[in-house]
Amino acid sequence: MRAASLGIVALLLLPLALGEFWAYQLGLYFLYACAAMGVGLCWGQAGFLPLGQAMFFGLAAYLSGFALIAFGDEPWIFPLLPLIAAVSGILAYAIGALVFRSRGESGPYFSMITLALSLLAFQIANNWNDVTGGFNGLKGIPGLPGLDDFSDVYYVSVAVLIAALALGTWLIRAPIGVLWRALAQNERRVALFGFDTNQLKAVAFGVSGLLGGIGGVIYAPQQNYVTPQLCGFGLSADLVIWAAVGGRNRLLGPVIGTLVVGTLTAELRDRMKFWEALMAAFFIIVVLAFPRGIIGALAPLTRLIEGRPRPKPPIPAPERPAPGGAARLSIEAVHARAGEVTILDRLSLLFDHPGVFCIIGPNGAGKTSTFNLLTGELAAAAGCVTLDGIAIDKLAPHRIARLGIGRKLQIPSVFADLSIADNLSIALWSGRASRLDLLRPRLRRWTSPMLAELAQRYPFLAATERRAAELSHGERQILELAMALLTEPRILLLDEPCAGLSPEETAAVIDVIRWAGRRLGGAIIVIEHDMSLVKELAETVYVLHNGTLLAQGSVSEIQVNPAVQAVYVGGEK
Amino acid sequence: MSAARLAFENVTGGYGTTEVVRGVSGAVAPGEVLCVLGRNGVGKSTLMKLLFGYLRCWQGRITFEGEAIERIEPTARRALGIAYCPQERPVFDDLSVRDNLTLMRHDRSLDGFAASFARFPILERRLTQHAGTLSGGEKKILSIVRGLAEDQNLTLLDEPSEGVQWENVLHMQALIEERRAADAAFVIVEQNLAFAERIADRYLVMDQGRVVLEGPRAEIERRDILANLHV
Amino acid sequence: MDPLVVTQAVNIVYAVTTLAILVLGLAVVFGLLGVLNIAHGEFIMVGAYCAYVVEANGWPFLMAVPFALLICGVLGAVVERGLIRPLYQRPFDTLVATWGLSLLLRKTAEAIFGLGYKSLDMPMSGTLDFLGVDYPTYRLTLILLSVVVLAALVLWYRNSRTGTRIKAMVGNPELAQAYGISVTKLAARTFVVGTCLAGLGGVMVAPLVPVQPFMGLDYILKAFFVLVVGGLGSMLGLISGALVIGGLDSLVSALIDGTYGYLTVLVVAILFLWLKPRGIFARG
Repeated sequence: MRAASLGIVALLLLPLALGEFWAYQLGLYFLYACAAMGVGLCWGQAGFLPLGQAMFFGLAAYLSGFALIAFGDEPWIFPLLPLIAAVSGILAYAIGALVFRSRGESGPYFSMITLALSLLAFQIANNWNDVTGGFNGLKGIPGLPGLDDFSDVYYVSVAVLIAALALGTWLIRAPIGVLWRALAQNERRVALFGFDTNQLKAVAFGVSGLLGGIGGVIYAPQQNYVTPQLCGFGLSADLVIWAAVGGRNRLLGPVIGTLVVGTLTAELRDRMKFWEALMAAFFIIVVLAFPRGIIGALAPLTRLIEGRPRPKPPIPAPERPAPGGAARLSIEAVHARAGEVTILDRLSLLFDHPGVFCIIGPNGAGKTSTFNLLTGELAAAAGCVTLDGIAIDKLAPHRIARLGIGRKLQIPSVFADLSIADNLSIALWSGRASRLDLLRPRLRRWTSPMLAELAQRYPFLAATERRAAELSHGERQILELAMALLTEPRILLLDEPCAGLSPEETAAVIDVIRWAGRRLGGAIIVIEHDMSLVKELAETVYVLHNGTLLAQGSVSEIQVNPAVQAVYVGGEK
Repeated sequence: MSAARLAFENVTGGYGTTEVVRGVSGAVAPGEVLCVLGRNGVGKSTLMKLLFGYLRCWQGRITFEGEAIERIEPTARRALGIAYCPQERPVFDDLSVRDNLTLMRHDRSLDGFAASFARFPILERRLTQHAGTLSGGEKKILSIVRGLAEDQNLTLLDEPSEGVQWENVLHMQALIEERRAADAAFVIVEQNLAFAERIADRYLVMDQGRVVLEGPRAEIERRDILANLHV
Repeated sequence: MDPLVVTQAVNIVYAVTTLAILVLGLAVVFGLLGVLNIAHGEFIMVGAYCAYVVEANGWPFLMAVPFALLICGVLGAVVERGLIRPLYQRPFDTLVATWGLSLLLRKTAEAIFGLGYKSLDMPMSGTLDFLGVDYPTYRLTLILLSVVVLAALVLWYRNSRTGTRIKAMVGNPELAQAYGISVTKLAARTFVVGTCLAGLGGVMVAPLVPVQPFMGLDYILKAFFVLVVGGLGSMLGLISGALVIGGLDSLVSALIDGTYGYLTVLVVAILFLWLKPRGIFARG
């Protein structure tokens, strides 16, 4: 907060330092900075790159222009302007919702589609002479009523910038910001915690559209003239450059980038023929070698100003709503394929009472594929999967996670760039936080009795501000296990929880699994190769082979089963 | 260990941050077959990938004919004289059987394959078909025939008998023995103990990423091996 | 036959074949190597400017071909080594880097040649009588040339040793290494082939379109949509994508307006993204 207050004071005093005219010129770049912030939000937080951001800026500028020309003198023009900005935001959200639908890699498609849309917007603005004024643009837009001189206009820009910064800061600090940063690192994992990642991305894009709109809405009355270039490709490209050079990971980065690079370009573009080419080369270098940008270089300074964050008291999380009684999970004659290869072949498994169970089998038997089936990541070509009688095999992974199926992946998948606290919080929010809750920063202080107990067993979990990337392999396994447990699932799927652990770490994990079995009262299904662990953990063992269930029973029963022996030892056929 | 064609000492490595192979050592001499045994997930395939260079060793040394190779990439190791037949995706599905066999030959001729075709007529029958249409076992046969035809000083085979009918496994054994007689060395990962017993000169049994049994075949008890393979 | 219909039909054939040629480079780079080179359109632009330079210097038009191949080849090799190779496993970073590259190429062209567009002379003037209609000779030549290049490339890919090795590398890069194929070198050469094809396309269309620094944008977008719709990794996919996108764009633009043509293409691409994200003829 300290840095922010200092910054605001500086902004307010700027006209005194630079003179009113120059402050007014700078004010224009505050508006661009709002739009650049939108790019920074999508790119730096949520991990996708919008290449057509200017279309939201330009759209809002045109709409604002129309409104001012039509009703410029009415007092209710003031509340109308934010609504116009909101139109940009809603349009962006709609586009995001349309594009982010598939489960696969949608990054490049999104970027190309936003690029295409911005070109289209430019074409429409350029050709629709009757409405937009064509390539001559919309002229004679009146200024805002009552605001006449340079100072007034400047302070409006400052107000808009501060509003945009406040909005951005709030969202970045809120749970939704944490989720954005998480999905930029590992989208699949976020979905497995029960969050609709496509929605989250669409919201991020919507907010970025809103930020662009906020800038555009004030552009029209300030410059009194709106041209098609405001929607088009060139400005979109500039916004991306400014966000990158300034530093896309922090909200102020794009602002600094816009102010520094934007103003420099405006001055030097005509004097140095190769200035823009130089900027493009600079952009490439920054992106590859200095991803944190200018603001990253200033980070020690901001830390100095801010001082240490004061820890706030934790808040108990609400109970996770769960139906009572043991879950009944049934896989019935499921057949699954990947292209030509059969992965699961009339597989039938039933888990209808609490306890710890193990799935074993040779390579390619279908163990992890069974887990993928259960979490909605593998489609069943035939047969069905039911949880308490409800068919779940056609549901999306995040919905299945909300029904109470938790999973720990084979490769430890914690969010390396987030703090331990944020990692654990994501698990706590799973199934407990409503959509609106995700906008409330206080949720980051949630805790639960289970978390307290886990932190007692594993003190490193309490070092909340440490980045997960600094943890050793063993600690990451534990962290991911803890996250899976915190969702208090009714069915917990653990895929090789002891892979790569030392004997001491393994013993500790076995302990936790047993404890969790008692504490959660549900079913824990473990895929393991190590037979000594299986013996310690499992009441019932399921042996898979070639995608189907070969045998099931207690450990001693399957050890003497000749079919199982043949599979493991091989022999003459 | 100057007589060893391949020697590896204290090799450690894995995927990402997960350590899979922990301090494994072993060696194979010219004209020798070393069989690597162990249950799933103990690190056998990972060891092979480390030996061929798909994965970097975090620790340890690998020497081939006296030269240290742990920093060399796979194509260079092949150029030095090591052939590799992977366990998963053993053939080029999109290429014909013929192309799979002759891809690296200038003239793309089928010289030298006559003996293999005699043992495995299925390959000759399906020469023009895409390898992707072959069954799992047939793909393995194609892969092994290709690998052996490279005539390298050291050949690494990862589960060559997987999915292959017994009579063809015996043909494989014959081909391997022919090459062994010509001083070729082999490291073969196997799950099938019956096959391993027929061709191995030495065993290396792994569990949880480490070596638990190692030595010439004569010195290792079958029941000890079984104890490490069984569930 | 009604001359209007013939003209429209030839127009559509022309639109589809030239689109296919322009997409070819990206089909190689994105379809085979999986690298989305956003600067693909700019390589086309470079080829077009090469043709302009050749004409401005009074050299015969055909010289533009080796000239463009040289420039785009060298540029492609440098880009592959410096930008693409370090980012192979990071598709998002590749996207950002090639976008930066496209900007760099565009701005450099602007600085050298200025913002305005250049108009090149037709290397072949006049018209030919084709099915009862007078159709520009150069366009007919282009159609023929495009078909020849596409067919030659397919034949080469199927039958040559290098083509088979590329196919092997694309399908199973690990095994390709075991065979002794230097995947890095082969991928680099494949990338350069892609950029050279783009340059060639640029030379071919240069006399027919306004040559300006930002001409590449339209091409990369169309190329991307062609591949989304048709499917990556096969010539059949490329042709079918070009048919759908080129055909629609041509038809709607002729019937209504260029902007509507663009809009239609966009809508179709988004529909495919939902319903058939791997395209009509996806590989594997």
